[in-house]
Amino acid sequence: MSLGLFSVLNMAARTMDTQQAGIEVTGQNLSNVNNPNYSRQVLDISASASVATSVGVEGTGVQATGVQQIVSQVVNTQIQAENSASSYWQTQQQALQFAQTDLGQQVTGSSTSSSDSSQGIASALSNFFNDLQTLSTEPNSLSERQVVIGDASTLASQFNQVSQQLGSLTSQLNGQLQTDVTNGNQLLSEIAGLNRQIAMAQATTGSSANDLLDQREEDIENLANLTNISVAPQSDGTVSISIGGVQMVSGDSVTDTMHVYNAGGGQMLVQAATAGTPLTLTGGSIAGEIDARDGPVATLSDSLNNLATQLIVAVNGVYQKGFSLTGSTNGLFFVGADASDIAVNSDVVNNPALFQASGVQITPDQDDTGDNTVVLKMAQLANQTSGGLNNQTFSQSYANTVATIGQSLSSANNEVSDQETVQQMLQQQRSSISGVSLVEEMGNLSTYQNAYEASAHVMTTVDEMLQALLTVQTS
Amino acid sequence: MMRVSSNTITNSLIFEMNRVELNQAQLENEVTTGLAVQNPSDNPAAMASILNLEAESSSVTQYQSNITQLQEQASTASSAMESLQTVAQSAGEIATEADGTATQQDLNNYATQVTQLIQEAAQAANTESQGNYVFGGTANNQPPYVVNLNSSGQVTSVSYQGNTTVPSVEIAEGVSLSVLPVGANTTGTGPAGLITDTRSGADFFNHLISLQNDLLSGNTGAISSTDLTNLQKDSDNITQQIATNGAVQQRMTAESTIEQDRSAALGSLTSSQADADTATVMEQLSQTQTAFQAAAQATASFNDLTMTILNYLE
Repeated sequence: MSLGLFSVLNMAARTMDTQQAGIEVTGQNLSNVNNPNYSRQVLDISASASVATSVGVEGTGVQATGVQQIVSQVVNTQIQAENSASSYWQTQQQALQFAQTDLGQQVTGSSTSSSDSSQGIASALSNFFNDLQTLSTEPNSLSERQVVIGDASTLASQFNQVSQQLGSLTSQLNGQLQTDVTNGNQLLSEIAGLNRQIAMAQATTGSSANDLLDQREEDIENLANLTNISVAPQSDGTVSISIGGVQMVSGDSVTDTMHVYNAGGGQMLVQAATAGTPLTLTGGSIAGEIDARDGPVATLSDSLNNLATQLIVAVNGVYQKGFSLTGSTNGLFFVGADASDIAVNSDVVNNPALFQASGVQITPDQDDTGDNTVVLKMAQLANQTSGGLNNQTFSQSYANTVATIGQSLSSANNEVSDQETVQQMLQQQRSSISGVSLVEEMGNLSTYQNAYEASAHVMTTVDEMLQALLTVQTS
Repeated sequence: MMRVSSNTITNSLIFEMNRVELNQAQLENEVTTGLAVQNPSDNPAAMASILNLEAESSSVTQYQSNITQLQEQASTASSAMESLQTVAQSAGEIATEADGTATQQDLNNYATQVTQLIQEAAQAANTESQGNYVFGGTANNQPPYVVNLNSSGQVTSVSYQGNTTVPSVEIAEGVSLSVLPVGANTTGTGPAGLITDTRSGADFFNHLISLQNDLLSGNTGAISSTDLTNLQKDSDNITQQIATNGAVQQRMTAESTIEQDRSAALGSLTSSQADADTATVMEQLSQTQTAFQAAAQATASFNDLTMTILNYLE
């Protein structure tokens, strides 16, 4: 005996079931064509168990054995690593853009003339020394003294402003650091939660929970944006996550979290909350914030402070030996210690006659006010190099500072641009493997539809055959 | 064969178009501002050299302004010295005419003229430039010379209240220059004295007063033997100072020309670092525009293609 008509009817029904499942998977794929985190799924089908009959071994049709997600773990791991690198450089780029803007050193001008001119501390510095030169030609002129004091105040307040803005950039970075750590901890607990659901689904249904896997991958990649992580897949479908060598997620539990702490002197760093060990982070926005803050931003701030300090010391060193129009001496021109608090001595601001321009004591009747030795020496400081400024002049040292922050930002820009290309290539690769293709799915759709129709035909045919058989019996 | 998903092409086109747009925005910015370097990150090395060139250029401009200031002082001093020279000549003429043939009345008239000349010379010696007395040394906030008269209106003395220090001003990096003589220098060293200088034997006011007094006393012998010789020394000294002044002015003109050239050179150096090469940028801009159009076109045809497949399968 062969299979028999009823078995064929069953076979057709099972086939139609299977094709329907195919349509369902195709539908799911088509629905998610624009979901960037979706990995396409394919229906696994296999021939159902065959039966030995008198005519030989006969097949019993087809059955769906599972829905498989098409992902490449290799590509995913690479994307996670590159996410950390991209986000590290993007964070640096952003911070350094702020730092460069805070510095306010720009070239303005037009191509039609040689009137290109810079703004910011560079021109304030030039103006200050030029004013001293002008005053040296008329040392007793109160109006020229006013000009010197006015431009010196401008220079000082530019130092103050940049210093203050760099200070608030540092606190902004600390704030972002805290936010990122909080978000990271949130992601860790979400991943642990998804681990639990995935393990449960796998244990109960025996197949993988594809959409949960996609969700978890998204969380892992978001976490990788924040910090460099290492991900270890486990046999039960869960993943273990470690950050900076400390395990944070194992199975369905969060074993440790990140914690921002003061490493001394207000330097905010990240440690493992439970283990208490400082985390060495090399990628992600968290490391980007720390490295931008303690690297180029701190260097910029230190250089400006040093420049201001050297200026205060050098100018006052010459100035203190001078004599004012009222005969006073040993006063200070600049007060303060560095870029944050440099200012022109308010006594001089209020009374320019107190500016100590003369190298000789001026008599009370102020007849002999033409000596310019001290103001000339002050003006000549512009061209003097100093050990405290790496044997550069004030303006050379400042130009160097500007170039250094510019170089850091330019490197970050290049890194970001390179990373974008790498990311784009990896996304293409992922899309090539896991992305939904409308063409492919449309093809599948018509394949499943045709197979469904064909099986329906089989069913009709068997039905007609059964009808014929019944007719024979009744006639 | 690489599998192509539906969003592969779109994503890659969007990526490329973003790149092209970014590039385009940068180029457009260069064209509108005319600057290849605006921010330090655009070209850090160029930025540093622009700042250094600008600092240098700004100090060159300042030296030029210092020179202008000194030129003004020197030219004021020069006119004053010319006036003093005229006084010296007139006094010399009077001394020559006042020989034994003149009556005491003539001599008295001459004396009155000499008194006038002393006043005139004192006025010239008290010349101001921008509120400062040019021949007072650094004691330039008061007239350097004070004329003392007796009851008959004759000059008894002319005292100097200036000093022997002249301020020097930078006209180029490390080059300081003093353009003015002081009124009197009896120390034998330091800046030249215009009226009185022991090195040249000049003592103009005292010699004029001697002439005035000798005229009044009818001492024509002393006039021809001493006063005339002394006045010649004064005249020579003033001539010497006028010549020095001329030389200094020439030097300043030359220095100013050098600095103008330097300023122009620095300006063009700065431009070469900072300015955009408009022709090249325009060329690049048109290339990016073409690239953008091509990408847009590709997107459109890709959409058409997808639509065709969907329509075909319907």
